[in-house]
Amino acid sequence: MQSQAFFLPAKSPATGQRFCLHYPAEGDVHRGQVLYIHPFAEEMNKARRMAALQARALAQAGFSVLQIDLLGCGDSSGDFGDATWQSWVNDAVHACQWLRSQTQPGDKKDALPLWLWGLRAGCLVAVDAAKQLNEPCHFLFWQPPAAGKPLLQQFLRLKVAADMLGGQSKGVMEAMRQELANGSPVEVAGYMLSASLATGLDRAKLAFPVAPPGSQASQVEWFEVSTRDDASLSPVSTQTVASWQTAGIAVNSHVVKGPSFWQTTEIEDAPALIEATTAALMKAAA
Amino acid sequence: MNFTEETAQFDCEGETLTGILAQPESPAQIGVLIIVGGPQYRAGSHRQFVLLSRALAAAGYAVLRFDYRGMGDSSGTQGDFEGVSMDIAAAIDALQERLPCVKQVALWGLCDAAAAALLYCHETQDSRVTGLCLLNPWVRSEASLARTQVKHYYVQRMQQKEFWLKLVRGGVATQALRGLLQNLRAAFGGSGGSSAGAGAGASGSNPSQSSLRPFQQRMAMAWHQFPGQVLLILSGDDYTAKEFLEFASTDPAWKSYSTHAHLTRHDVSGVDHTFSTADSRQKVEKITLGWITTMC
Repeated sequence: MQSQAFFLPAKSPATGQRFCLHYPAEGDVHRGQVLYIHPFAEEMNKARRMAALQARALAQAGFSVLQIDLLGCGDSSGDFGDATWQSWVNDAVHACQWLRSQTQPGDKKDALPLWLWGLRAGCLVAVDAAKQLNEPCHFLFWQPPAAGKPLLQQFLRLKVAADMLGGQSKGVMEAMRQELANGSPVEVAGYMLSASLATGLDRAKLAFPVAPPGSQASQVEWFEVSTRDDASLSPVSTQTVASWQTAGIAVNSHVVKGPSFWQTTEIEDAPALIEATTAALMKAAA
Repeated sequence: MNFTEETAQFDCEGETLTGILAQPESPAQIGVLIIVGGPQYRAGSHRQFVLLSRALAAAGYAVLRFDYRGMGDSSGTQGDFEGVSMDIAAAIDALQERLPCVKQVALWGLCDAAAAALLYCHETQDSRVTGLCLLNPWVRSEASLARTQVKHYYVQRMQQKEFWLKLVRGGVATQALRGLLQNLRAAFGGSGGSSAGAGAGASGSNPSQSSLRPFQQRMAMAWHQFPGQVLLILSGDDYTAKEFLEFASTDPAWKSYSTHAHLTRHDVSGVDHTFSTADSRQKVEKITLGWITTMC
């Protein structure tokens, strides 16, 4: 079955509509529902094809998948400069609710697991959204950062690099930080970044949300890609995974070979990541 | 004018293409098809195509932007700009099917999408296409790249005192010198810069197309033969634009390109390849709107 593209009216009508792409589960067994939450700014564009390839693979494996463009991103309403962290979290929650309202023939709804799948900053939105859901969910993380702070720093550096090429780099970072601290937006790599969104990203942490009492245990599938053959999980991820496991959360970490497709110059695929991701979700559903 | 944005999914050779149609309350007879260039999808770098289509739709022009096969959300295998004519045809069909009042189409393309637009005209001579908006058109070949580098980088570098001081002290890497020599050979050696030689190193050619003329020549033929309006927009701070000017002024096939009877040219100073500021993006919107208004 092919994907279904549609616009979902936003929870608060004044903020317009959100572009969504739904891949209904194929085959006889519906194994679960998956919401994809995209990464930050241009990383979303670069990763678009990988998200589509993975969504198709999961649909073929019996999962229904929903992709949503958050406020001011992709084809959704608004300008990037209109986005705030909370608006993104609200959009993700709204998308979950839409996904949960969908049933396919033969569904036993209570048993159908819900997965929040994030890439990079999308993982941070996912954990914040999970706190607002009235039900437990599983997580599928692709290249999760421990916090939003380094992502913001990386993004702001794009402006520093651009100005450096133009011959002026002195104090650019400080000036941007000052603007944001004053509540003013800054323009980076063609994107207007509001002070509110910068603050939200800066404060975001990959903290495991407390599940509602009596709910089923959550499972986490944690993926990193590396171009090296013998790569292991990054030190910061190793630390987080260990602390989550200590807290009794089932985390499976995986390192697979592939390019950093969210930031490569050309559009690149990581087939090993798609294969391993599909296998991990199938295993969890078995 | 009020406008709405709707999703559009349509078939191309058994694959499903995904696009967005920006639809004004009462659309003009001419619509715009945005072709995606470079490693992008239909939103464009920093959402350039989203914002452009909204600006055009607000002025009364229907705009469709879409992912061709194997890109973005569209199914199929990844191709390149030399093989997207069927995708462009399918998109024009989809646009007219939804909005039968749209009789003519202007193709809007940046970088290799500008090349794709010309190649589409060359292959189909589609009479529905009455306008071409081409930004920083892609004509790269080994020779054109080398020549542009020599002209705009090395010449500048050789005028700098530090370069010679560094050279004398042995601070210029042998790698860099070797690069310069290679570029000089590629730029001025061999075929003397003819198109045939220039096209030989072009990327993206596949076996089925190797019997054809190099894509730069097919682009030139389309340019000269195109009976409609052409809008050429060139960024001031862009290598691809410099390369186009360099190539078009020296290549025999492109000779007298500037005498096209319906050419409007805008050189926008101080802007980069993808117009990556709100200010430069708005300049492009304004130029495009001004041009398309004259076509109605």
